[in-house]
Amino acid sequence: MSNESPGFFRQLPSALPGLALIIITMVVIRNWIEPWMAVTKVFGMQKPLTDAFHLNYILIGIIFGLLYRNVLFGGRMPEIFSNGFKLSRLMIKTGIIMLGSLYTFSAIVQLGSMAIFLIGGFVILTIIMVLWLGKVFGLDRSMTGVLANALSICGVSAAVATSPAVEAKASHVAYAIATILGFGILTMFISPFIGHTLGLTDLQYGAWIGTGILNSGQVLAAALAFNPNVAPGTAVSVAEIWNIMRVISIPFAVFAVTVWYWAGKTEIEGGKQKSLGTLLVEKFPVFVIGFMVMVLFTSMGAFGSVGLKGGLPPSETIKTLRLVMQWIFGFGLVGLGGYIDFKELRQAGGAPLKLGLIVGVTKYVLALVVVLLIKDSLVSI
Amino acid sequence: MFGNIVVAVDGSEASQEAVDHAVNMARHSKAALTGIFILDSQWPDFIGNDWQSSQGARQGFLDHIRQEQEQQADAARAQFESASSGLERAHFCVHAGDPTDVLVEQANLPETGLLITSRRVFQVSGRPSLKALGTTLARKALHPILLLP
Repeated sequence: MSNESPGFFRQLPSALPGLALIIITMVVIRNWIEPWMAVTKVFGMQKPLTDAFHLNYILIGIIFGLLYRNVLFGGRMPEIFSNGFKLSRLMIKTGIIMLGSLYTFSAIVQLGSMAIFLIGGFVILTIIMVLWLGKVFGLDRSMTGVLANALSICGVSAAVATSPAVEAKASHVAYAIATILGFGILTMFISPFIGHTLGLTDLQYGAWIGTGILNSGQVLAAALAFNPNVAPGTAVSVAEIWNIMRVISIPFAVFAVTVWYWAGKTEIEGGKQKSLGTLLVEKFPVFVIGFMVMVLFTSMGAFGSVGLKGGLPPSETIKTLRLVMQWIFGFGLVGLGGYIDFKELRQAGGAPLKLGLIVGVTKYVLALVVVLLIKDSLVSI
Repeated sequence: MFGNIVVAVDGSEASQEAVDHAVNMARHSKAALTGIFILDSQWPDFIGNDWQSSQGARQGFLDHIRQEQEQQADAARAQFESASSGLERAHFCVHAGDPTDVLVEQANLPETGLLITSRRVFQVSGRPSLKALGTTLARKALHPILLLP
C-alpha cells in the first residue's frame, strides 16, 4: 500500500472533472440560487432562507458538497471527481495566503495581541481539561493525547500531527476525528444563527468562533457564513487571525502532549520522543509563511491601500484580490462539504464522543461568554 | 459443498472465532480456504478535511497508520497459518481497498461458496464506518455468508 501522492501537475488533468463540478456548483449558487433566496417568499415570509436561516453561498456550497457525497454518490466520491475535490484543500490554503492582503503588520499586532491572550488561555485550559477527563473516563493515554490537541487547537490537523508522536492507534484517531468533525459541522451551521440572534458585531463573532470552534475549515466556513464579505474588520478577517494563532501553536502543543505522554510511560523506547526543533520543522504549517509574506507585501504597499478603518479606501488591486478570495473560498468549501462523510460520523460514539462533546460545548459556550465580557477591550482594524 | 471458503482475518480475538469456524467447515466439506486481510486504503480520504497540515505532517500520519496496518496484517497471517496448519488447500492473501467493498467483492466472486467473518473484524485499526461492515455485507452479498458476533 503506497501513500505517496503524485505531484501537483501530474494530478491536474485527472482533477479537472472534479474541479469543473465544484466551479459549476458555485457559479450556479452565486448566480441563480443566492439571488433566488434573496427574493423568495415561503409561507408568506419574505426571504426566510437568508433572513431567518442566514443561508448564503458559503453554507449552500457546503450543503451541495455534502449532498454530492452522501446522497448523489452514495457515500463516496466517484474516482472521476475525487482528485478535483482533493485539490479543494489547495484552494483554501491559497485563499488563506491571499487573506494576508487584509492586514498590515500593525493591524496584525493589534488583533494578534488579544488573540494570543485568548487562544493561549483556551489552548492550555482545554488541554488540562481533556487530560483530566481522559483519566476520569479511563481512556487510553494515546487516545487522550490525540483528543487533547485535537480539541484544543484545530481539530483534524492537530490529530494528524499528534498521533504518530503518542503512538495513537488508527481507530483512536478515527474516533477523535469523527467526534471533532461531527461537533464542528453542528457549530458551523448554528453559529451564524446564534451570532445574528445575539446581534454580535463581526469583531465579536470572529473572536468567538476563532476561539470556540474546533476545526479550522469550519471556523472559515462559519465566519463567511456570518458575513461573506472579505475585508478588514469582517468576521473572516478576525477569525482567521485567531485561527492562525492556533495553527502556529500546533508544534508546541504536540511537544507538550508528547512530553506528557512519554512521562507517563513506564517503558521508554529510545529515540521515540522528538525534540521541539524537529517538531517545528516537521509540523509547522508552511502556508502560514505564505500568509506572512503576503502581510509583508501589503505592509509595504505593494497592492495599494488596504482600506483599514480611518484610512484610504481599498485600491482596485485589493478589491480584485477580495473578489477572487470570495470565489476561491466558495470553491474550497464545496470541496470541504464533499469530504464530510455521514456514515463515518454516524458510527462515532463511546467515551471519546462524550469527552469531545463535554469539552467542545464548554469551550464553545465559554468562548462566547468571555468574548461578551471583554467586548469593549477588543480592538477592530 | 463449498468450492472456496473465504474468511476475513485481522489477528484479533473476534477473527479467531471466525477462522476456527472456517477451518472446521473447510475440513468437513473438503473446500479450499482463503484467509484475507485488507489494508484500508481510505485513510487519505478520511482525513481529507485536513487542509492545513504540512505535507510532512500528513505523510507522517499516513505512514504511521500504514505501519500499524502492516503489523496487523502480520498478526492476521500468523493467526490464519496457525489455525489452518495441516489443511491442504489453504492460503492467505492481503488486499488493499475499502474493507467493506473488498469483502462484498470477495463474497460475490463466482468461486466463493461461503464467506465467514466476524462483525467486529477490521475494527482494531479501522475507521468508525467499519462498525457497519456486517450490515452492509448482509445487504450486498450474493453468495452465502456467515456473520459471527
